[in-house]
Amino acid sequence: MPDFSLTAEQESLRDLARKFARTEMAPHAAECDRAGRFPEEIYRKAHELGLMNLNVPAELGGSGLGLFDQCLIVEELAYACGGMTTSIIANCLALEPILLDGTDEQKQRVLPPFCADYHLAAFCLTEPSAGSDVGALRMRAQRDGDHYLLDGEKCFISNAPNASLYTVFATVDPALRHRGITAFFVPRSAEGVTPGRDEEKMGHRASSTGSVRFERVRVPATDRLGPEGGGFSLAMRTLDMTRTPIGALATGIAQAALDHAAKYSLKREAFGKPISEHQAIQMKLASMAQSVRAARLLTWFAAWTIDRGAKGTLDSSIAKCFASDAALHVADEAIQTFGGYGYMKEYPVEKLLRDAKLTQIYEGANEIQRTVIARELLRGYA
Amino acid sequence: MEIVVCVKPVPEGETRLRVRADGKALDPEGVKFVLTGYDESALEQALLLKEATPGSRVHVVACGPAPRTEEVLRASIALGADLATWVEATGELASDPLAVARALAAAVRAVPHDLVLCGKQAGDHEEGLVGAALGELLDAPDFGAVVDLRFDPASGRLRFQRSTEGGQEKWESPLPCVIALQQAWNDPRTAKLPAILKSRKAPIAKVPATPADGGRSIGERFELPPPRSGAKMIEFKTPEEAAEKLVRLLKEEAKVFP
Repeated sequence: MPDFSLTAEQESLRDLARKFARTEMAPHAAECDRAGRFPEEIYRKAHELGLMNLNVPAELGGSGLGLFDQCLIVEELAYACGGMTTSIIANCLALEPILLDGTDEQKQRVLPPFCADYHLAAFCLTEPSAGSDVGALRMRAQRDGDHYLLDGEKCFISNAPNASLYTVFATVDPALRHRGITAFFVPRSAEGVTPGRDEEKMGHRASSTGSVRFERVRVPATDRLGPEGGGFSLAMRTLDMTRTPIGALATGIAQAALDHAAKYSLKREAFGKPISEHQAIQMKLASMAQSVRAARLLTWFAAWTIDRGAKGTLDSSIAKCFASDAALHVADEAIQTFGGYGYMKEYPVEKLLRDAKLTQIYEGANEIQRTVIARELLRGYA
Repeated sequence: MEIVVCVKPVPEGETRLRVRADGKALDPEGVKFVLTGYDESALEQALLLKEATPGSRVHVVACGPAPRTEEVLRASIALGADLATWVEATGELASDPLAVARALAAAVRAVPHDLVLCGKQAGDHEEGLVGAALGELLDAPDFGAVVDLRFDPASGRLRFQRSTEGGQEKWESPLPCVIALQQAWNDPRTAKLPAILKSRKAPIAKVPATPADGGRSIGERFELPPPRSGAKMIEFKTPEEAAEKLVRLLKEEAKVFP
């Protein structure tokens, strides 16, 4: 039976994240959102406090947290700013393939120096014409003696403009579809690597997102992760591990929206009383509170399941998909509670809707999550 | 230098306090306790001195009940304290300043101490008595409302400032001494995640407070402040009319002016 009463250690981890989120992130969230500014000074502080490479074992220089503890931290961070949180946790996504399929030699060579200082890594899977359909990716990896030559372009990559390390998925033969995909890690300094500009986005404007071009980039075969053709499985196993914290990120956004709406409803008067005393608003708040609670519990349940050693594909898909839909619903209702004020950029809730939207799209679009959920579900009936 | 820092758990700033059913104390149920801000500044000062004086150790001491006292000790270890002593005492004893000072003095006497630091008061009852009482009980010079301690190895003396109304006093003192520090002048550091994880496993020495230490000050009655009455809104058409009405109210109702 899962027991979700937190230990004193978990409380102190959450307190650290909460303090950082409220004192370092929240005061700059609106300004970074407006300007589309990437607040590197905040990310450097996050790294310094150990809030960045959460999934990397302590002996390799990371924080060595399980998924449940990661989720506690991510929710707190996202409560202050979803975009900053995306940039802070993008390393977990980008380094997970090295943790999963890297050899001991590769882990020792790459991770301790990477984690010791402030560095960003980026997970390069999506291409201009291959998103949900991973098997359609076209970036080539051609064997050339004891090297590979990488050629192609990745797009919508979180932290790509600022990263010093890329984990890259390319194919040794596009005709092989999934079975041709192979993973590598590539330093930004490698010749032929050109990160693109930071894209203008609807939300998550404090994080950076961009394309990366790889032109005849020579990568030593010793920097290949796993076997040739093992990349598709590695990408899926990576996402199985990192999808759940996206549920936590969405829960943080949703909790922020609920808190704003509830506080506003107690102050704002209409028809001679606070709007919190009107049933129309009470129904909204009740539905929002249910969504937030369910999102958190599904996220915690998925994290608990995976921490116990289960693969967790189904539970993490349910958590990510539900929590991101919940975040959109709760942010939407928060704006409606604020009325005209909610639509104004001067108030904090419209940002939450824009930030929530991305959680339905990235790390596996919700349509893919539903496909996975249905597949896993039907297996039980077949 | 052996630096002892005495710390106190206090309810977190955003806590909604409730009075216990018998009215004689605050109800600690569900209240989150943290290091008081004054003690955070004292601990920060200790860590700065330790960093500036090679071979120094910081030993943190707190008196009170479980789990709050253990939690602030672990938080102090996560921030950089080397050793911790928990003087186990009931909540009643821990709310009696003289009893706390006696219990802390006994714990301090039992360990090496060149310098004893504490916050000048705690953010809960704000009595500000323990620092001075510790000085008396340890028979050491004591100073309150201090900022910016420097140790001068040549003379073996401490130099520091006291903030006073409209000014700064400059002082120096021989060791050992007891110094109660001002809050938030030194931007206390934040504990890092690996240090927090490590602090959970750090040893904490436990000593019991003797019951004879307590009983001098007894909580008689606690009440929450009465809810504030609503503001009076002035209705007006022109700023002149508003000012006229405001002045009349200040004179006739609030009697601020004759």
